[in-house]
Amino acid sequence: MPTSISSLGYGLGLRSEYYQQILEQSPAVDWFEVISENYLVQGGKALYYLDAIAERYPVVMHGVSLSIGGPHALDTDYLAQIKQLAERIQPAWISDHLCWSRGSAHQLHDLLPLPYTEESLYHVAGRVRQVQDVLQRPLVLENVSSYVRSKADEFTEWEFLNALAHLSGCQLLLDVNNVYVSARNHGFDAWTFIRNLPPESIRQLHLAGHMDYGDYVVDTHDHPVCDPVWALYQQTLEHLGPVSTLLERDDHFPPFEELLTELNKARELAASALARRSLCA
Amino acid sequence: MRLIDWQLAFEEHLLSEPCAANGSFAATLQGGPTLDVDTGLAIYHNAYLSRLKEVLCHDFSAIRYWLGDDEFAALSEAYIRRYPSAHYSLRWLGERFSMFILEHLVAEHSAPLAELARLEWAFTLAFDAPQGTPLTVNDMAQLAPGDWPALQVSLAPSVQHLLCRFNTVAIWRASRDASGFPGSQALDPMQICLVWRHQNVCHYRSLEPDEACALAGMATTGWNFSELCAELAVTYSEGASLQAATWLKQWIQDGLLEFRAP
Repeated sequence: MPTSISSLGYGLGLRSEYYQQILEQSPAVDWFEVISENYLVQGGKALYYLDAIAERYPVVMHGVSLSIGGPHALDTDYLAQIKQLAERIQPAWISDHLCWSRGSAHQLHDLLPLPYTEESLYHVAGRVRQVQDVLQRPLVLENVSSYVRSKADEFTEWEFLNALAHLSGCQLLLDVNNVYVSARNHGFDAWTFIRNLPPESIRQLHLAGHMDYGDYVVDTHDHPVCDPVWALYQQTLEHLGPVSTLLERDDHFPPFEELLTELNKARELAASALARRSLCA
Repeated sequence: MRLIDWQLAFEEHLLSEPCAANGSFAATLQGGPTLDVDTGLAIYHNAYLSRLKEVLCHDFSAIRYWLGDDEFAALSEAYIRRYPSAHYSLRWLGERFSMFILEHLVAEHSAPLAELARLEWAFTLAFDAPQGTPLTVNDMAQLAPGDWPALQVSLAPSVQHLLCRFNTVAIWRASRDASGFPGSQALDPMQICLVWRHQNVCHYRSLEPDEACALAGMATTGWNFSELCAELAVTYSEGASLQAATWLKQWIQDGLLEFRAP
């Protein structure tokens, strides 16, 4: 069950590989996060399952194509479709990424990093407000994993997220794995990142696996969550209290039971972290 | 460097061939303690290509079966360079693949391959087309006898029509069954193949010329049932009504038709 009024509890990313099992077995998952773009279609199996699952579970919409930091005009047709899907499935919130994914004329289909400069900050903040005006709700933005940084950075990533939340009113999806990945790649302290975010703005947490190449780490979502990320997750919950937690898997899909076991691990680790928080309060 | 210029340089890097970062762009970046800028840029460059190639692999698995992994990879990469993705959804990436095959390969190879690509794309289109309101046998049972002659129908939204000049369906089926490649052959006469979705499952069927003509007459030209019977009388004489009813029932059971709006 959800751990508090503000938290949906422990959820999974909805993937087509598991549609049938979810409907047949009604697994003990508190909520599902759906990739918005997979359902911006006019009919077919995906929408059929989405409707059926959204009737049984709380859902959240998570997009990958908003390109909130992109150099192009916001895609109003895309936004209208997002709004239409939201009217259809009534998500608890709508999220996307603090990144850009479309260039001058082409879709790049990646979550590309932004320079953390004042120019970027005001560019993104203005566009967040436009999106929120259309969707009539706060936009939730996720920190991405990155493999290069701009030398022109004027802020750390967490300073940028803080300023963006204050300027635009957006909320944050804190991807604990992405913090770990970027911290390893860029040599900053992951906990410094997390403890300097505005707690009141954090709406959701992501957990996922990655590939560790020794000298660097790539965010692949194709492995179980690793121990250092679990530790960071517990530290995060001790600091924040209960926050909706979502386990992502996008490749090398294991049997559904394995994902449920991993989700239960999140529950157990969260319970002990939250108990320690209560003792310290 | 202004934000927009930096982003355009980043985009240029992703679209470049091969991965070779523009020196002045790379100079705007910093790596980490053990991740240098070139490696970081290569991660983005490789991810861009591999993500798009994976989508084409999924959407055109029969083309891959025909060409083999290496030739398919080369064709996919050439396509991605020629037609970078323009839609926010990767679902539309392969929209111009069959056209590109015609542009890119010599004619004798390209025509059957492009036809196979059109067939595979038809499945993609049928997969998530609008549901519509397909006619059911029950709908027909409730039709008053006096309404039958004027009955008009149209195709359900998911129905895709292909004119096959080659044994494309046999090749596609062999790829699905992972059986031996049957060889490409021209068909004489050509065949109409339908691809559609019914009850959330995609189906396909080749039509004999008479049935194809009857279906096109009703669903495209706009014949009513009475006109269909009259057209069939030329070939089937007194058996025309029975043949018309047999086909109509089959089309309805398949989920191919909707009532045509008056």
